[in-house]
Amino acid sequence: MTARSIMDTNPTVLQPDSTIATAMQYIMQHRYRNLPVVDEDGRFLGVFGVDCLLRLALPKAAIMEQGLHSVEFVRETLSDIHRRLNQHVDQPISSCMYDQVATVAPDTPLVETLLTLYRARASLPVVEMDSGELVGVISYFDAGRNILAAEI
Amino acid sequence: MHGHGSATAEVVFGLHPMWFAGLLFVLSYVLIMSERVNRVIISLLAASLMIVGGVLTQKAAIEGIDFNTIGLLTGMMIIVAIVRQTGIFEYLAIWSAKQVNASPWGILVMLVLVTAVLSALLDNVTTVLLIVPVTLLITEALEVSAYPYLFAEVFAANIGGAATLIGDPPNIMIGSAIGLSFNDFLFNLAPLIAVLLPALLIPLYLIWGRKLSASPENRRQVMNYRQEEAITDSRLLWMSLFVLALVITGFVFAHDLEQQPATIAMFGAALLLLLQNIPCSYKEQSRNITQTFGEVEWTTIFFFIGLFIMVYGIETTGLLDLLAQEVLRLTGGDMATTAISILWVSAVASALVDNIPFVATMIPLIQNMETTLGGPEALMPLWWSLSLGACLGGNGSLIGASANLIVAGFAERSGQTIRFLPFMLLAFPLMLFSIAISSIYIYMRYL
Repeated sequence: MTARSIMDTNPTVLQPDSTIATAMQYIMQHRYRNLPVVDEDGRFLGVFGVDCLLRLALPKAAIMEQGLHSVEFVRETLSDIHRRLNQHVDQPISSCMYDQVATVAPDTPLVETLLTLYRARASLPVVEMDSGELVGVISYFDAGRNILAAEI
Repeated sequence: MHGHGSATAEVVFGLHPMWFAGLLFVLSYVLIMSERVNRVIISLLAASLMIVGGVLTQKAAIEGIDFNTIGLLTGMMIIVAIVRQTGIFEYLAIWSAKQVNASPWGILVMLVLVTAVLSALLDNVTTVLLIVPVTLLITEALEVSAYPYLFAEVFAANIGGAATLIGDPPNIMIGSAIGLSFNDFLFNLAPLIAVLLPALLIPLYLIWGRKLSASPENRRQVMNYRQEEAITDSRLLWMSLFVLALVITGFVFAHDLEQQPATIAMFGAALLLLLQNIPCSYKEQSRNITQTFGEVEWTTIFFFIGLFIMVYGIETTGLLDLLAQEVLRLTGGDMATTAISILWVSAVASALVDNIPFVATMIPLIQNMETTLGGPEALMPLWWSLSLGACLGGNGSLIGASANLIVAGFAERSGQTIRFLPFMLLAFPLMLFSIAISSIYIYMRYL
């Protein structure tokens, strides 16, 4: 068995030129943790999710590589944080999506798929190797449902 | 000194030792400058070839390594690896920003001072590694460009580092090679540094400072920072400050104590490790020690080791003596001309290439001038010129010093990239300005 047998073949996707504001409203409303971003030909570009929002809401100096370890000394209100986030909301999601994410191919063996899912700690895009096309997504729930439904 | 380490007069490939060592040295230099192969690989390869090629025996090669420099560097790196965990760097940066009511220009001046002092007492790279993130946080809150701040911090780190024996690797190497003390550097170079820093701030004010402004609302946000919360471990902080004070006192009285800087730094490192780990279980201790030693820059240490062997190799062949006599012939053996030439050549060279191999080569070269110029005392102006040229020259370009590259990395990650040419267009003249002031200082005080 492979990744193909447990993936959701009709996942919700985002377009790279949607604004952060639109995508934000959508994922907050449906409580998505993250969603794949695909271009008009269905090619996988990256993922955009709630952690992107947190990243934009936090001071850049803290989230950057080798940045501040702790910001315990900073005192800000929710309004301050909202103001910071608001500076970015008109930009397209392509500006802050993650493009270095773990993916699997549809024919990746099952156990390797589950290990990748476990290490990624997020839903796993299933991407056709040659075309780069997104063919499905595997969430923890897809994996769990399929495992528990199998006969012992 | 020459001839001590020579294994044989015969050398592989049928070359005379001087030619073999000289070619190997030039080739290594070119490769280091080309930045195609990592400098550590080149220095270790060249060092090995000096031995395999017959220029040095292994015994001679080991004698060529200045373990005082290695020990001092490693000891200070261990101490810094612990001190940086305490949050004291962040504390000082925030505290200093609040002392000036979070005014944008005031913060720039304060951060320059904090960076310079920390760079003088610890290493420049760690200083900027910890001060720059706070700077980016503050400039983001103030909604001002981070560029002037980062630019000023590069200069402050390199200028501050020039003030003491332990501030910058060139000083460690020079001090160790000829036995100059912490106090020698402090008395001879720190007064100049105290002039150079304000002198640097004037052009920075004219270019950027007078235009910097921030809204009262944004300044209030910075004033709301609570610096005491930046301290992560107050017990460790007090231990660190105690050991740091002890080590610096040790450096100041090194002469009376008849101890070398490497011993003092390593003793301090061992003591701080002990104090840090006393309350920990044996397992926790292993973890702490592994973590601390993991932060020692072993690549730098091994680069030094290879370099020392490489330079010792060419020194034993008598090549550096020949070069020294050639330099003296060019300067007519005149002290003032020689000193000022060393200052300017070192500055321009250090702006463009790694200053560590440059200084490693210049040290034996200058030592070879001793008899002609009249004894070790007569060489002192040359040592100060070399130190100032090598340390301050690092400001001339973005690749002039390791601290510059660290700052550039942060700038890029924060989306405010510092470009090579625009940086150099301002930094190089400012560096030459600092060298001009240094020339006057050297001339008035020593010549």
